[in-house]
Amino acid sequence: MFEECLKKVWPKVRRNHLFPQIPPPQLVESDEEVALEIKSKQMTINVNFLQLLSEKMSPEDALQALLDHGISHYMYCPWDFNTHLMLYSEAKKVLRDKRLAQKAASYFMDVVANTYCVKERETKIPELYRHLPKEGVQRVLALLYQVIWGIDLGVQGEEENIKRLSRIPYLEKRLWKESVKKFAKTIEEFLQKEMESEQKSHKKVQNPLGEHSLENYTLEEIDKGLREFASSVDDITEFRETVEDLKDELAAMGYTVGGMGRGAGNPIDADLLYYMKLAENYTLPVKKLPMEKSGALHPYSHSPWEIGKPVQDIDPWTSFGKIMPGLTQTWVRREGEVFGEMEKIPDCLIIIDSSGSMTNPRERLSYAVLGAACACNAYLKNGKKVAVYNFSDAFRGNKLILDFCKEKEPVYWAICRYFGGGTAIDLNDINYLLKQAEKPDIFIITDMQITNLEKLIDFFNSIENRVTAVHIGENIYAARFREGLKKKNNVSLFLVKDKEDIPKIVLGKVREYFASPF
Amino acid sequence: MKNPFEEFRSHTTRSKGKELPLDRILKAKEETLNQILKGYENLLKNEAKDLVWLMQYSTVIKAYSIAEEAIKGINYAAEDIEEFCYVLDKTDQVPYLITGPAGVYISALCNNAQEEEIVLRLQDVGIKINLLGYRLPEGKRLIIEGNVGDFTGISLEGGELIIEGSAKNYTGAGMKKGRIIVKQNVGFNTGHGMTGGEILVGGRIKGLGKVVGGKIYEKGQLVFPSDDYRPFYF
Repeated sequence: MFEECLKKVWPKVRRNHLFPQIPPPQLVESDEEVALEIKSKQMTINVNFLQLLSEKMSPEDALQALLDHGISHYMYCPWDFNTHLMLYSEAKKVLRDKRLAQKAASYFMDVVANTYCVKERETKIPELYRHLPKEGVQRVLALLYQVIWGIDLGVQGEEENIKRLSRIPYLEKRLWKESVKKFAKTIEEFLQKEMESEQKSHKKVQNPLGEHSLENYTLEEIDKGLREFASSVDDITEFRETVEDLKDELAAMGYTVGGMGRGAGNPIDADLLYYMKLAENYTLPVKKLPMEKSGALHPYSHSPWEIGKPVQDIDPWTSFGKIMPGLTQTWVRREGEVFGEMEKIPDCLIIIDSSGSMTNPRERLSYAVLGAACACNAYLKNGKKVAVYNFSDAFRGNKLILDFCKEKEPVYWAICRYFGGGTAIDLNDINYLLKQAEKPDIFIITDMQITNLEKLIDFFNSIENRVTAVHIGENIYAARFREGLKKKNNVSLFLVKDKEDIPKIVLGKVREYFASPF
Repeated sequence: MKNPFEEFRSHTTRSKGKELPLDRILKAKEETLNQILKGYENLLKNEAKDLVWLMQYSTVIKAYSIAEEAIKGINYAAEDIEEFCYVLDKTDQVPYLITGPAGVYISALCNNAQEEEIVLRLQDVGIKINLLGYRLPEGKRLIIEGNVGDFTGISLEGGELIIEGSAKNYTGAGMKKGRIIVKQNVGFNTGHGMTGGEILVGGRIKGLGKVVGGKIYEKGQLVFPSDDYRPFYF
């Protein structure tokens, strides 16, 4: 019966929501007290719950309301995983408990999605709420709906809290950060009670319209959401806290730091993930080497043959076998262009300073690590290998050497390592690494306050590798570095004062190329 | 030719959707907030012309009377006062950040509110507002969730002021009657010049002022009057 009903209702609901790109819902039989579940955009409706509902309202209306609710989550709130994370993170700030924050964010999304649907679409959601169980938080939500939708759901009480809840601008997306905090704070005591009852009964209190969890999203959506969330949070601590909370769920979904995919991966390091996702928002161009003239001529286009022009270039096929000025066509030859010897992008050695004067990447956003991460991404994306030399006082053993490799995770792990302390670079290590690849590019990121800066300048003066040097902040050492290498065309220097300066870095930029006609 | 999108005409014409009671509530809230802000701007115009507000007994009294005048005729609720506190915190307009007149204005709003009990949830407010609970009258109960600044509950007139967090210096200075409960700590000169009423501090009192009368408790222990602190006569 419900199958037929669904076939009839689904096209209507889709049309009502302007044909969202989601698969047709499925009906399942489940003993859970949940009417609707959404996993990776697939809505499943519990037939048993529907059966109970259809005793109180028409099955068509019940189905329509459930589908409206599900689609509104997809179309409006949370819309994407980034919004979901943001709502959770803000709720956590006021409730300071993972489970409470999850519940608060989930209920907030329900209120927003339902209210959006009631306001913007023809829906049976109010009718559905009239027949859903009204206990605990559900009762509070029903009281709220009574006030903000202007319908009678047959509940009373909690005037003070409802007064507060009804003043929240649920449909103002730009205010959701503030709104979810107010919402969470107001319903905190009810959430606490719900938690206590769960603990007593050892049974989870079910949201009849389904829980909002990571399972609602595909791995691609999670990856995109984390990328957006990394660039939207105020600091690394907020990202870390949120990801740490969801670590187990992410792992269960098969999401690992190294990338997406099922199977056992390394435990998620939230800090690494932060830089990884943040770096994905930037794309640094890697300069390719210029084209060279091949020296050989090749037929390029036709022109009419005239007396006096060489006959060996006549094209008999387009001349109809005749030699006659004006009719006969002759080949015009041009010099060909080919790539030079080093047409490929080389591998890259990343040298990163993690001395005491640099920001600890696990405490605050480190531009050095972000810059190095962007450089690493640029080379790895081109299928190249990356080596890392992370140093503070290298002669005292405060250094980390990672040989050339193509795996993202070890590279990120190496660049996120923080030593603190003094700053001295061991050029023997650099020489060792440079020998491991064929004339690799060098990307160095530091504040230039290096004890043996002069030796480094001499070293860069002696090599022909392309060097992209990035200095964090302006100081006399950076000025000395610039001065010392001003005659070298293969060294380009960039200043990073802010996150926004990072996209301005061009990897492997060589001044000589500007003089080239290409 | 038939318009292929004809059947969606209803969607395009209904761009803003149905009007819900929520829309009316939010509109009314915005209007009230604008009126409250206007009154506050008026107070600043009179009292903090040069962006300086000197905390003196006479200036507080004058600011309070201007504030009371400014809020006359505004129909507001406790939630509007809370909303106003958040606006103060979030705004980038320079004069708004003068916490003295802000505290006087909020006190005037609380003292003249219709509700007998007012709860202000200010945990997320970054600034610590001074002078909250100024002249709180008998029969009123003001509960502040979060921390507050200096001169909290001064000249209390019989009301009950509950601070869920900490208060800074001169808490309860000059209070005549009523009760101040601070769940956490208070700063220096607590109860300075108070002549009656009670101050109950759940945490630590950094220092008492020159207390004339009333009672002050620290973690349940009576610290004034006691052998260490006797009434001061001005």
